[in-house]
Amino acid sequence: MSRTRHRSPTDWGWQLVAGGLALLFGLPLYWLFTSSLRPAGSPPPRTVEWFPHAATLTNYQRIFALAPFGHYLLNSLIVASLAVPLTLLTASLAGFAMARAPVPIQRSLLLFSVTLLLIPTAALWLPRYILFARLGLLDTWLPLLAPTLMGSNALYVLLFYWSFRRISPELFDAARLEGSSTFGLWWRIGMPLVRPTSLVVLILSFLAYWNDFLTPFLYLKSESRYLLPVGISLLHQMDTTQFPLLLAGAVIMTLPALVLFWAVQHTFWYEGRFSELAHTDEV
Amino acid sequence: MPLGLRELHKSKAMSMRYRLSPIALVVALVLASCAAPAVRPPNPPLETRAISLMVFGEPAEKAAYEELIAAFHTAHPDIRVELIHIPSQRDYQRRLSADFAAGTPADLVLINYRRYANFAARGVLHPIGDYIAANSDLSLNDFYQPALAPFYWNNELMCMPQNLSSLVVYYNKDLFDQAGLAYPTNDWTWDDFLRTAQALTRDLDGDGQTDQHGLGTDPSLFRVAPFIWQNNGDLVNNPSNPTRLSLDDPQSRAAVAWFVELQTVHGVVPDAVAEQAENSESRFLTGRLAMFLNSRRGVPTYRTITTFDWDVAPLPQNLRRAGILHSDAYCMTTATQDKDAAWQFIAYAVSEAGQSLVAKSGRIVPSRKAVAESPAFLDPQTKPANSRIFIEHIEDIRAVPVMSTWVDIEEIVGKEIERAFYGQASVDEAIRTAITNSQEYFELAVR
Amino acid sequence: MNRSLILMLIPYGCGALLLVLLPALLIFALAFTTYDGLAAPQWVGDQTFQDVRFDPVFPIAVHNTLIFVGVSLPLRVLLALGLALLLERRRRGVRFYRAAIYTPTVIPDVAYALIWLWILNPLYGPLTLALRAIGIDPPAWLVQPETALLTLVAVGLFQIGESFVVLLVGLHNIPLEYHEQAKLDGGGVWQRFRYITLPLLFPWLLLITVRDLLLLTQQSFVPAYLMTGGGPYYATTTLPMLIYAEAFDRLRFGHGAAMLLLQSLVIAVLVLVGVGLARLILWGRSV
Repeated sequence: MSRTRHRSPTDWGWQLVAGGLALLFGLPLYWLFTSSLRPAGSPPPRTVEWFPHAATLTNYQRIFALAPFGHYLLNSLIVASLAVPLTLLTASLAGFAMARAPVPIQRSLLLFSVTLLLIPTAALWLPRYILFARLGLLDTWLPLLAPTLMGSNALYVLLFYWSFRRISPELFDAARLEGSSTFGLWWRIGMPLVRPTSLVVLILSFLAYWNDFLTPFLYLKSESRYLLPVGISLLHQMDTTQFPLLLAGAVIMTLPALVLFWAVQHTFWYEGRFSELAHTDEV
Repeated sequence: MPLGLRELHKSKAMSMRYRLSPIALVVALVLASCAAPAVRPPNPPLETRAISLMVFGEPAEKAAYEELIAAFHTAHPDIRVELIHIPSQRDYQRRLSADFAAGTPADLVLINYRRYANFAARGVLHPIGDYIAANSDLSLNDFYQPALAPFYWNNELMCMPQNLSSLVVYYNKDLFDQAGLAYPTNDWTWDDFLRTAQALTRDLDGDGQTDQHGLGTDPSLFRVAPFIWQNNGDLVNNPSNPTRLSLDDPQSRAAVAWFVELQTVHGVVPDAVAEQAENSESRFLTGRLAMFLNSRRGVPTYRTITTFDWDVAPLPQNLRRAGILHSDAYCMTTATQDKDAAWQFIAYAVSEAGQSLVAKSGRIVPSRKAVAESPAFLDPQTKPANSRIFIEHIEDIRAVPVMSTWVDIEEIVGKEIERAFYGQASVDEAIRTAITNSQEYFELAVR
Repeated sequence: MNRSLILMLIPYGCGALLLVLLPALLIFALAFTTYDGLAAPQWVGDQTFQDVRFDPVFPIAVHNTLIFVGVSLPLRVLLALGLALLLERRRRGVRFYRAAIYTPTVIPDVAYALIWLWILNPLYGPLTLALRAIGIDPPAWLVQPETALLTLVAVGLFQIGESFVVLLVGLHNIPLEYHEQAKLDGGGVWQRFRYITLPLLFPWLLLITVRDLLLLTQQSFVPAYLMTGGGPYYATTTLPMLIYAEAFDRLRFGHGAAMLLLQSLVIAVLVLVGVGLARLILWGRSV
C-alpha cells in the first residue's frame, strides 16, 4: 500500500490542528522553563510575559545552596540506576520463562499476570507500609527497590512475554542443539531479538521510579536518603511563593525524564502489525 | 494472623525489630539478596554514642539547631547527634506518627504541647522526672511555669520545654510611617487594631484591587483562640476535662464573628484568591502587608528582611488580656536505647549555654527565666527591638486543652473557621458543623 | 518444565506474592481490627465499617472520588481516541506531534503539580494573565470549591500518553484492506469509523478504560496532596487522601484499611460491570 504525499488543503489543515495540539501540550513545559528563569523574589508578573525580562539562571544555583539538592539528585539517580537494570532482568527472565513454558502452564501464568495487573498496586501502600515497617526496612531504599523483584509491573513481564513468543522456536531449537543452556538461550538468542521491548521497558520503568513521589515520601526518613520528588515537595512546603526557585527544581527533576524519552521515543511508535509478526503457534 | 502481628505489641524498641518471624526472614533474605549492595549506609563506629534529634522549622531555624548541636559536640565529644529536619509542622506530625507506628522514632523529638498528648497517651514517650531529680544543676524553678504546665501527663513531666511564646503582632514600621500612623501601644484595643488595619489596607494603583493589606493571619482555631478568651469566651466546655466544643457560647461566637469579619466585612486581610496567589506571610516579607500574626517562630526568617524596618506589638485586648501559649519541648522516646545520652542533650539544650545559642537565632522565647532576661534574648541591637513584650505578657498566656485528639479537633474546626473566614459559610453554620464534626474526637480522647 | 525456567520465574512469583497478594490479604485482615501501629491489632468485627459509615468526611470523599473518576474517565478515553485517530497515519512530522502529546506524561508528578500551581495562580499565573489579556476574567480555579476538583481533572487530562500509545497500536492493527474495501463500497469517513474502526478498536478502548478505572482513584492523591491539600473545604478530599490522613494523622490503620477495602470493592464492581457490558456488546456484534 502506498500513501501518496501531496500537499492538499486537508493536509495543511491537518498540520494546523496537529501542530496546535502539540503546542497546547507543550505549553505547560514552556511555562515551566521560562518561569524558572524569573529572578526569584522579583515582583510577580502582572501582564502576560512570554519570556521573563531579566532572565537568569541564578535559581539553578540557589536551589543547590538552599537544600542538599545535589544529594537528592544523586540519590534519585542511584535508585533509578539500580531499579531499571533489575527490572529488565527480572521482567525479561519471567517473560522468557513464560513464553517457553508448556502451553497449560503458559495459560495459567498469563491469567496470574493479568490478575496482578488488575490489582491496583498503588492502592496497596498501606499494608505494604505496615509490612516493611515490621521488617524494620523503613528509611532504607529496599522498599523502593523491592518491586523490581517482580519486574516492577506485571505489564513489563507481559511485554517481554509477547515479544519472546514472536521469536521462532526453530532458532531456540538450533541453539539448544549446539549445547546452549536455558539461560544462554535467554541471553544470547532472546534478549538481542527483543531489544525494542527492552528499550520500552527501560524507559517506562525509569519514568516509574524517577517520577514516583508516594513511595519515597512514605518510606524515607533521613534527609541523606531523600529522593528528588520528596526534596522538592519539602521545598514547596517551606516557601510556597518563591515559585521561580521551585520551578527550577522542577526543571531539574523533569529534564532527565524528558531527555531519555525524546531519545528513545521512536520505539514508541511501532507501526507494524502484530498479525504480521506474531508467529503462528497460537496458545 | 499474618506475620505474627499479634506479637507486635511486644515490639517496643529493639526486641521485636530484630526478632523476625520465619516468613519475615525469608522476605528479608530475598529482598536483601536482590538489592542489598549500596543501600545501607556504613554503621558509625561503635565507640561513639549516637542519638538522633528530629525538629521542624524553616531553614533559618534549622541553622539554629545545627549550631546547638555543634556546641553540644564540643561539650560532649563522645555523643554524636544526628539532626533530622522536617520543614512543615504538618508533615512533621505525620512523620512522628508514622515513625512511632513503625517503632523507629528518633531518640529525641521536638513536639508542640498541642501535639504531644497523643503520643504520651500511647506510652511512646519516656517521662523525664527522674532525670531532673537526679540532675542537681537543673531546677524546674528556673523555668517559666506556663511552659512546663502543659507537659505534665498524669502528673508526670513528659518533655522539657525549650520556649514559650505568645501570639504577637509583627508590623512593618515603614508602612505605619508612610500612613502617618502611630505604632501600636501595649494596651491597644480591638477597635484600635481594626482601625489601624483599615488605614493600612490600600489600593495603591487605583485598579480596584487591594495591593496592600493591613493584616494577615492563618484562619485557624489556634489563631482565633486568644480573641475568644479576650472576649470572656472559651474553646471548650470544661478546659480541665473537655467534652464538647463551646464555640456556640455567645461570648465565643462573638469573638469568632469579629475575627471572621476582619476578612469578610472589613477586607483588611487578603481574601481566599489573594491568599492562594501569594500567602500573607510572603506578602509581609515583601512589604505589602502591614501586620502579621505569628508567634516568636517567625523571627529568624523576618531577620532576613532588608527592605523595611519591623517590630513586634502585643495582641490587642478586649474585655480582658489574653495570649496563647506556643511551646515546643524536647521529648525522649521510649524506644531510645541510650537514654542517658539523650538526657545529656536535653539538659544541654535547656541549659543557659544551650538556650542562649538558640535564643540568639531569634527562634525562641527561652523557657529558662535567666536566659529570657539576658541579652541573648533581649539584645536591643537585634530585631525585634520590642522583644521584651514576649516576657512582659507571660502572665496573660493561656494554653489550649491538652488532650490526645486535640490535633484532630483543631484540624476539623480549622476547616470550618477557614470556610467562614473566606465567606464560604456563615459563622453560625461553621460553628455548628465544627461542633458536630469534632464531637467524635472528644469521645475518642484518651485521658 | 525445566528447572531453569522455574528458576527464572521465582523472583517474579515471590515478588508478586510478597508485594501484591500478601498486602492485599493484609487489607482484609486489618479492616476488621483497630490497629494504631503501637499496640497489637484488636479484632473488632465490623466495628470499623460502622465507624466509617458515621465519619462525616467519608461520604464527601466518596462523592469527590466518584466525580473525579466519573468525569476523568470518559474525557480521558475520548481525548486519547481523538488524538490517536488524528495522529494515526504517517504524515510529515507525525512522530514529533506524537512525542509532543506524550511529553506531559513523562513529567514527574511533583514537578507537574508545581507547574500547574504556578500556571493556575489566580493573580500571577501565566494562564490567568493570558486569559486576562484576551478579555476573559478566569475564576480562581483552585480556590473555589465548585471548580477545584474539576480543575484537578482538567490538569490530569494532559497526561494521557499511555492510553494514546495503546490506541495507536490498536489502530495500526486494523488491517488496511478493511478500509480499502469499505472505500470501494462507497463508505464515508464516518461510516468507516463507525463500522470498521470502532468495533475493531473496541478491545483496546476497553483495555484503557479498565486501566484508568483501576488507576485513577489512586492518581488523585498526588495532585490533591500537593496542589490543594484536599481543600478548599474538603472539595478535593478524595478517598486516598482520607485514607492517608486516617492512617498517618490519626494512626487508625484499621479504619484506613476498611476504607481501602470499600474503595477496592467499588472499583472491582465497576470493572466487572464494565467488562460484562463490553462483552455483551462485543458478542452481540461479532457473533
